[in-house]
Amino acid sequence: MPVDIFDVCVIGTGAGGGVMLKELTAAGMSVVALERGPHLSTSQFTDDELATMWRDTLFSPEQVETYRLEEGAASETGRFNSIAHCVGGTMTHWAAWSWRFRPDEFKVLSTEGPLEDASLADWPIGYDELEPYYEKAEWEFGVAGNAGANPFEGARKKAYPNPPHPPKVSSESVARGARKLGYTPFPTPMAINSQPYGGRPKCMYGGACQQFGCPIHAKATPFSILIPQALATKKLDLRPDAMVFDVPVGKDGRVLGARYLDGAGNTHEVRARHVIVAGGAIGSPHLLRLATSGLFPKGLANGSDQVGRHLTFHVHNLVQYLTDETSMHWTGLESHAAIDDLHPSDAKRGFIRGGVVGEINFGCKLPIAHGLGGVGFPDLERQWGAGFKDYLRTFPRVVGIASILEDLPMASNTIDLDPEVKDKHGLAVPRITHRQHPNDIAMLAWYDARMREVAEAAGGKQIWAPVVPHLTNLSEDVGMKGAGAHFHGTCRMGDDPDASVVDKWCRAHEVPNLWVVDGSVFPTSGGYNPTLTILANAYRVADHFVAEAKRQKL
Amino acid sequence: MTVSRRELLAGGLFLGGAAAAMQFPFPRALAAAAASKEPVVLSAAEWKTVEAITARLIPTDHEPGAVEAGCVNFIDKALANEDAASARLYQAGVQSIDAVAQKRAGKFFIELPPKEQDAVLGALEDGNAEGWPEAAPPSPLFFGQVWLHTLWGFLAEPKYGGNRDYAGWRVLGYPGGRHKLGGYTAEQMMGEAKLDALWGEKLPRSGRGTPQKG
Repeated sequence: MPVDIFDVCVIGTGAGGGVMLKELTAAGMSVVALERGPHLSTSQFTDDELATMWRDTLFSPEQVETYRLEEGAASETGRFNSIAHCVGGTMTHWAAWSWRFRPDEFKVLSTEGPLEDASLADWPIGYDELEPYYEKAEWEFGVAGNAGANPFEGARKKAYPNPPHPPKVSSESVARGARKLGYTPFPTPMAINSQPYGGRPKCMYGGACQQFGCPIHAKATPFSILIPQALATKKLDLRPDAMVFDVPVGKDGRVLGARYLDGAGNTHEVRARHVIVAGGAIGSPHLLRLATSGLFPKGLANGSDQVGRHLTFHVHNLVQYLTDETSMHWTGLESHAAIDDLHPSDAKRGFIRGGVVGEINFGCKLPIAHGLGGVGFPDLERQWGAGFKDYLRTFPRVVGIASILEDLPMASNTIDLDPEVKDKHGLAVPRITHRQHPNDIAMLAWYDARMREVAEAAGGKQIWAPVVPHLTNLSEDVGMKGAGAHFHGTCRMGDDPDASVVDKWCRAHEVPNLWVVDGSVFPTSGGYNPTLTILANAYRVADHFVAEAKRQKL
Repeated sequence: MTVSRRELLAGGLFLGGAAAAMQFPFPRALAAAAASKEPVVLSAAEWKTVEAITARLIPTDHEPGAVEAGCVNFIDKALANEDAASARLYQAGVQSIDAVAQKRAGKFFIELPPKEQDAVLGALEDGNAEGWPEAAPPSPLFFGQVWLHTLWGFLAEPKYGGNRDYAGWRVLGYPGGRHKLGGYTAEQMMGEAKLDALWGEKLPRSGRGTPQKG
């Protein structure tokens, strides 16, 4: 496919970039996709816990960031999240919880009013505009669920394409506890095949989803769906191991394409009529900040100083308990049951906003995770010795409950360039600056108490909130470490060019042929796993992009 | 210095994990190294001391512990490969724990009775071990690294040199990964049918998983 100038250059191949490259190639455009990670194959997807979860030798072995609590504080170097650097992005090892945001989650500022120290905002779009694209995402990705079973969901026109997955002992336990308290449990909607669908097989319930690649493509991912579809059009030039470090700008203020380093450190340049940045809420602002020029000395599209601001990453909270029976938590999907009764915002609780609560096996489903999760187990003074070994023997009876809570955006929570630490190419690594808003802390404590009530109602004898690195993210001194993979904000979409980076179509206010399509455009984080919303928004943007191209308006 | 459990965990992870792993090319020689049960990095004396520490972290009772699972072999092979950056920490740590034992009882750590060993390890974890050399790395750092490695050695796949004959997984009642073995049925997920463990046993065993206060 020798072309001098591509129609579109997509940087990043995850949820946002994956949808764009698939939809645009389907519309006949020539697309070059630049992905910093390798193109993996299913033969590399083992359930080796040490290699995959703890050493992370497969998905992002070279990931490095710095983190600090606030401006002026010392930063530490490490990795503070579990994103994946590979073709298909972090969805390659996602757990596949698939939610539509509630209508009020698009209108947080007008729903709540302003709040001190928080940069609350309304999205420039509402639920109704996104609803058809939620439907498209659910059907493209084969979401399994029970439409209408969640009484707190927004109105939907169409049911899920696949029936819910069968329960397991642990999910029945959580559902029983929830029902006792008057809540309304329902099957967690999951983008994993509950029956053969889209040319992909039914899930085999092996149990290793979150942080693992699916060896049979039953889990819906860009890697399994969008990339192969786009490659089949012959319109996609997919370039793995391509670390983009610059998006050059012409004299007319339009971007020209992208410059990247290959695995050997050689520099390449591609030209394209449009550039779509889709590196996620860390990668996208990182690239825009790296791409400085005479026109944009503070980074591309950053004349307003908004690139990298308003970082949110959810408050994840985990409570585990023991049942009398074998819970079978380590089988099946990460979550088979959820409740949304606690989600609606109510300032009388002492905080605004909220989130969904669901059964989860992430903190216990594998042996080492269970061992690490003993921190906080009742009456266990030290994590070693005879008592710890007895704790290890509780593995078959653990049940986990998690909440995914809407943390509040703050302008001072940012991604920028670390002034000292460099990656293997000599590029400045992303620096995360993040402090939790007091509302988040109050919300965490309240949900912790409610989840413990569910555990008690389910008959849980020992109830504890384990500290599992990579999952829990609030500590006495560091509010960020191990924040999982939910990242949002940093390239806000909005109508006001002074307060946002991209417009409602995710097109940069300051650069007419530059687009950002990923979780970074979220003005607020919502109280659900974000991926289905990233997908739906990308389908919406792609529709607009293709329509404008047809009208010669791009 | 005070090091919280959380920092210890994170520090151990980052030390033994991504940061160290970054320095080594892929693929690794770990599986090949694990084929040898002889010391590769640790000296014979260091091996004995580290093994004695692991024996207290996950003790042997009516079921195998860290010794039977070969945790020290896992550690030795990790230090030869992914965690080579920690080799010096182990060297210094072994010397220092003996210095603590000498100060306490005029003996080497391996010569102390189990209760005394536990007291020494507790002091290491808490960072208040008398006799721990000023110049040595902080004792909680050493303790945290050995602790994490012992857990990994007990519970990671046997191919890494520990979890010998699935000793760790048997203690947990974890039947082994199913990624490439066809997963589970709906009946098994509801506990209505037994599972086949990788070592041929039918799980769950009755009466398993009952916690006893230690």
